[in-house]
Amino acid sequence: MACHFCDSLHDVELIEEGQTAYCNTCGSTLYANQPQSLERAFAFGLTGVLFLIGMLFLPFITMEAEGNNITISAGETVIRLWLTGGPIIALAVAIFIFILPFFQLASLIYLCLPLLSGRAFPGMVPVTKLMQGLQSWVMVEVFFLGTLVSLLKLVKLADITLGLGFWSMVGLMLSLAAAVGGIDKLELWDRIEVAYRRKKTSDVSVEGGVEC
Amino acid sequence: MLASAREKNKVSCHTCGRINPLEEGYCPRCHTPLHSRKKNSVQRCLAFSLASIIAYIPANIWPIMIVTNLGRNEESTILAGVATFWQMKAYPVAITIFIASVMIPALKLLALGWLCALSAGWVNTNPRHATRIFWLTELVGRWSMVDVFVVAILVALVQLGNIISITPGTAAVSFGLMVILTMLAALSFEPRLIWDNARQSTSS
Repeated sequence: MACHFCDSLHDVELIEEGQTAYCNTCGSTLYANQPQSLERAFAFGLTGVLFLIGMLFLPFITMEAEGNNITISAGETVIRLWLTGGPIIALAVAIFIFILPFFQLASLIYLCLPLLSGRAFPGMVPVTKLMQGLQSWVMVEVFFLGTLVSLLKLVKLADITLGLGFWSMVGLMLSLAAAVGGIDKLELWDRIEVAYRRKKTSDVSVEGGVEC
Repeated sequence: MLASAREKNKVSCHTCGRINPLEEGYCPRCHTPLHSRKKNSVQRCLAFSLASIIAYIPANIWPIMIVTNLGRNEESTILAGVATFWQMKAYPVAITIFIASVMIPALKLLALGWLCALSAGWVNTNPRHATRIFWLTELVGRWSMVDVFVVAILVALVQLGNIISITPGTAAVSFGLMVILTMLAALSFEPRLIWDNARQSTSS
């Protein structure tokens, strides 16, 4: 393989579980052998989807001020933003916090489930590309920091209570990190290639069986 | 220093990492068009950086949100927000926002400019350090979005009519745009060029 940063050619050696290989020339991470990466990615992917749904619909923050009581879910944040003159910001939140993380989790599940038994599903190649491309654009953890900062701005104005939606966001953030961070790019592509090859040979043998 | 894939007439797929012969047009495994080096990376990176500098100016001058308190409008810019937290003695928050919204974008743009100069061969440095800095630039990029999300949450939550309500300012959009542009600039940068220069200078 070649290093992603400096293009140095390396021979890929088998490394033990839990170990990571680094580039000799520039010191960047080359690949890692993480124990049970597919199982973990699948499990955390499913958990993440549940948390994402929870974050969308469960009460996120409750604010009490001047006799008014406002409770919103994170999903409502987008709708209210849209209505109060911030359609572009509403879109940004919807895309970076809900839509892209959903696609990332969905593609993880779509990839990991069949690969666990070495099977290939149609469209695995574009799905993997999608998942890789989304990596930089998923911003749940940034939204988390943003929530904390805005809470600090709000405490002087009103009484704030955090709801289950907030904790779902924390769960989503952690499961996304665990699911995506647990998967090694090279290993994933190798497994896809092997799964497709296996599918091809089994298709050929089925056809052969019919001819006989 | 190890030989690069290109020196061995190979090209590594940017998507799946498969090593292919240099003359191959598409990766046989993932069907991505193969490029040994990203095309026009310095121009693209500089173009995106320049665009984000243009967006950086209104993002800091115009108000990022407008607070209406008992009929009185109060506009607040990013720096004013930092100052408010500082006066509240909420130093960690003030520092966090200052780092995420002011320092990171500025440092990122400086770093990208310097990296472009490096890969074009105008300046020289230890390529290992340059790689580390590029890796960091890519890593921290998203965190600047934090201010946009703060505005988003405040606007959605604080809507009590005339008593107190918050509306987003023009700077929120320009700021978000600036962050996205710097992220695109980092994505189009090609760190391998720095190593190509380093290999050339050690061989000659």
